[in-house]
Amino acid sequence: MLSDFMIDTFGDLTALLTMIILAIGALSFPAVQMFVKKHTVTWAYALILVVLALVVDAILMVDGIEMEYLGVRLSPYSTFMGLLFLTVLSLVVLVSNASIETTRNHSGAYYSLLFGASIGMLFVTSSYDLLTIFVGVELTSISSYALVALKRKDGRASEAAVKYAIIGGMSTALTLYGISMVYGVTGSTTIADIAAYVAALDDTPWILAIGVLCMLAGYGFKIAAVPFHMWAPDVYEGASTPVSIFLATASKKMGLGVFIQVFLFMFVGAVTAGTIFGETFQYIFAIVAAITMTVGNVVAIAQPNIKRMLAYSSIAQAGYILIMMAVMTPNAEAAGLFHMFTHVFMKGGAFLIVGALICAGVGEKISDYKGLAKRTPVLAFAMMLFLFSLAGIPPLAGFTSKFFLFASAVGTPGEASGEWVWLAFVAILNSAISLYYYARVVKAMYIEKGECTEKIKVPAMFMVAIAICVVFVIVLGVYPDLIFGFAEAAAGMI
Amino acid sequence: MSMILSSLIIVPLVGAILALFMGGSREKLSKYVAIGFSAATLVLAVLLLIGVFGDFEDLGEGYEWIKNSSFIMNYALEVDGLSILMVFLTALLVLLVNVFSLDEHRENNNYFYALIMAMEVGLMGVYLAADYFLFYIMWEVTLIPMYFMISWYGGPRRHYSAIKFFIYTHVASLVMLIGIFVMGYLSVEPGEAVNFSFEAVKEGLAVGLLTGVISEGTISLVFALLFFGFMVKMPSVPFHTWLPDAHTEAPTEGSVLLAGVMLKMGSYGIIRICIEAMPTAAQYWQWVIIAIALVSIIYGAYGCIAQTDLKKMVAFSSISHMGMVMLGIGCLSDAGITFAVFQMFAHGLITAMLFMVCGMTGHKVGTREIPLLGGLAGRMPIYATFMMIAFMASLGLPGLVGFWGEFPVIMAFYEFIKSEEVIWMIVFCMLSLMLTAGYYLWAMQRTLFGPETKKIDLSKAHDVGHFEFAVLLVLSILVAFFGVWPDGALQFIDQYVDFLMGVI
Repeated sequence: MLSDFMIDTFGDLTALLTMIILAIGALSFPAVQMFVKKHTVTWAYALILVVLALVVDAILMVDGIEMEYLGVRLSPYSTFMGLLFLTVLSLVVLVSNASIETTRNHSGAYYSLLFGASIGMLFVTSSYDLLTIFVGVELTSISSYALVALKRKDGRASEAAVKYAIIGGMSTALTLYGISMVYGVTGSTTIADIAAYVAALDDTPWILAIGVLCMLAGYGFKIAAVPFHMWAPDVYEGASTPVSIFLATASKKMGLGVFIQVFLFMFVGAVTAGTIFGETFQYIFAIVAAITMTVGNVVAIAQPNIKRMLAYSSIAQAGYILIMMAVMTPNAEAAGLFHMFTHVFMKGGAFLIVGALICAGVGEKISDYKGLAKRTPVLAFAMMLFLFSLAGIPPLAGFTSKFFLFASAVGTPGEASGEWVWLAFVAILNSAISLYYYARVVKAMYIEKGECTEKIKVPAMFMVAIAICVVFVIVLGVYPDLIFGFAEAAAGMI
Repeated sequence: MSMILSSLIIVPLVGAILALFMGGSREKLSKYVAIGFSAATLVLAVLLLIGVFGDFEDLGEGYEWIKNSSFIMNYALEVDGLSILMVFLTALLVLLVNVFSLDEHRENNNYFYALIMAMEVGLMGVYLAADYFLFYIMWEVTLIPMYFMISWYGGPRRHYSAIKFFIYTHVASLVMLIGIFVMGYLSVEPGEAVNFSFEAVKEGLAVGLLTGVISEGTISLVFALLFFGFMVKMPSVPFHTWLPDAHTEAPTEGSVLLAGVMLKMGSYGIIRICIEAMPTAAQYWQWVIIAIALVSIIYGAYGCIAQTDLKKMVAFSSISHMGMVMLGIGCLSDAGITFAVFQMFAHGLITAMLFMVCGMTGHKVGTREIPLLGGLAGRMPIYATFMMIAFMASLGLPGLVGFWGEFPVIMAFYEFIKSEEVIWMIVFCMLSLMLTAGYYLWAMQRTLFGPETKKIDLSKAHDVGHFEFAVLLVLSILVAFFGVWPDGALQFIDQYVDFLMGVI
């Protein structure tokens, strides 16, 4: 098959192939931009590379290749996450040349940073050592700070970038501090060793607990879990929309990936063994998940700016996904991974429409969306689909993935344990709350009268990207088996 | 495999999508699209009802839809004596509502019709589904259009009412969802994938109970979760408060569908899922069900007397009449369930008339406040006639359909309490009959008869429009037809109840 061909050709380097493709791009974009001086050429070059990487990753995922080279572990899990990141990246690149928000003067730097950040993400999800994970996270974070700051003439963007960098720096410090303590106690930075140490523990060494909590707080910033979420709305609002998409969908998933690889691995043995240490952390995750989704949804109700509303809604979505950290069964992991994947299309799609409308001169306030259905029926309908999918309305992708996720909290086949039923209930109640603020946008678009009745025309590339999202939001809702099997395979690795 | 059942869902779906995109200059056409597609659905439903497509058992459709290591979900549709009546009622009322609305023009007409058609999709799905996953999806699909219908096209307090409706029914359906999860998980051995089809879950639970893997306590807990979900939808006291608000604010068309077919989803769920899949748990909760039913009947009836808004009064009478359905179900006997189902059907027809008439009062006269009305019969004779027919049918006048819904249920309840030796409980039923007759006659007396009211300006009041007249006439004929020939519906119900009695 194709993967055999790849392995024959590239040998061990196949494990690094997607990263190499992206690295070629990241290193060559500034040069290409300098010599060719045409934005469209750089854009096309970037698009070709990212699609190539996406195809390579998909082939490796479908064939379920497992290999290891230079500390990079290629597995169904890493290819699944890779597919997620590369899908986001390709959607973002697709619209970058059409968006008026992305600064054209710096398109070389812009694509380089995007690709650099993506390499970091791919690296994180194929690592199994605290230090390499840390390096990957930093690569992504530092590129992201610069990406937010690229929208230079805008005061909000500068503020957002500074805020993001300071908070990111703090989270880095916390993480490192935590890692040093964990290393001090366990004597290793390899997660498998730490997990074995934790599973064998009888009592709870407090210094290890503090170390893990520090790491939890540090990485909690990355996924914007409450109470470490304050930066997210400001940053998503300040950044240009393509960058917001990238942060809200890909960057956040990297953080969740870290949660899976570090904390899940660390505790799954302890939980199976039934130690207090493991169970305590299960409850911590459950409480963080419940608070994160509740705060995200409740605060979103009051947001007049649609980007901020979407930011809070993605905080809430991270809360749903954290359910898998509390439940810790293979079903829950598969459902969590699947929800991450559907989230890409629904949240990405919603942000894409916001970005497209900004290009067409529509504001970011929900009140600017009044009468939109008359001005652009197709986009209004697509937006309605994305928002309904986020709210979990059948038969869209968000419903199906939430269904699996919440079902996994209730029990496993043959056993309805009841331990996490309350968490499922909180989550389901939250979905009900969320419909309230999504419905407000739908109402503005369809029922309220707008001042402007002029037809809207948006760039073609936005339409293509939005169409891709619409297709997947429907297809994954009606036919989740398309991806769910791979999510199960990925969860099997854990 | 035949596609008849699927087409009952697909036809309205196509109608909904077409109507949604008929904005701007084509807006006026959207109503005809809705009428066309709902008429086609009704034709299909009627042909299905009279057996043109063959026996119900042969019409089932089932495809494996989603399959992974923990779940198997099916796209499975089935029809039997219980669901066919509900399918017919849905198709009928949706068409009638579409025709009824022709006399009135509203802004954003196309969305209005898209919502009605979307509701039909969900309702058909709920009544035809033979898989819990599909059932739940369709259950939710009915909820969303109704929410928008109230909050976009409703009266002055529509936002409050819509959100109240949404919170109550959605939270209830979420409890139901958790019940479905638990039920699914219990129905299989560890390591097996949960098959969500009605049949598989039912068998799994029966086997589990037989082998003792599932305790009686667990199964009655699951029963309670699901029952709660359905009970709020019906609605039963004390979770009824969303209904009067929703009805008062909803447009007439929404009220008709809400009371006519959506409330029946609750009682349908109780019979189809709670009773059929967990008969032993139903025995366990029997007295609770009966108590809830009696409280709903009496409280609903008392609530009616206190109302000054005609529509709110009818809403409370729905609570009372749905309590009657619950009472029949609670008897867990052949007669009880048979006539409970008949009452669902009868109430669907009658309540549609009631809400149309009361909604018209608001449009034609300008207010629905009973104290402000009076002597309308002289000025609006046709309207008054229909109102009288509807009220009489609802209070259970022999010869009209309501009688067969109410009286035999009370008979069945009498049989039950006789066997339990608590005959004095019949007092509650007597009380309810008296109260029902009382509030309807009193309301009629105050609105239609007596001297013409001076409190409001009646100069603009006009009698029913052509389309409204046609719709009300059709409903009146059906109300009388099934009143003199209840067997027309009972023959289907008997088929189903015979089967159900075998299960219990």
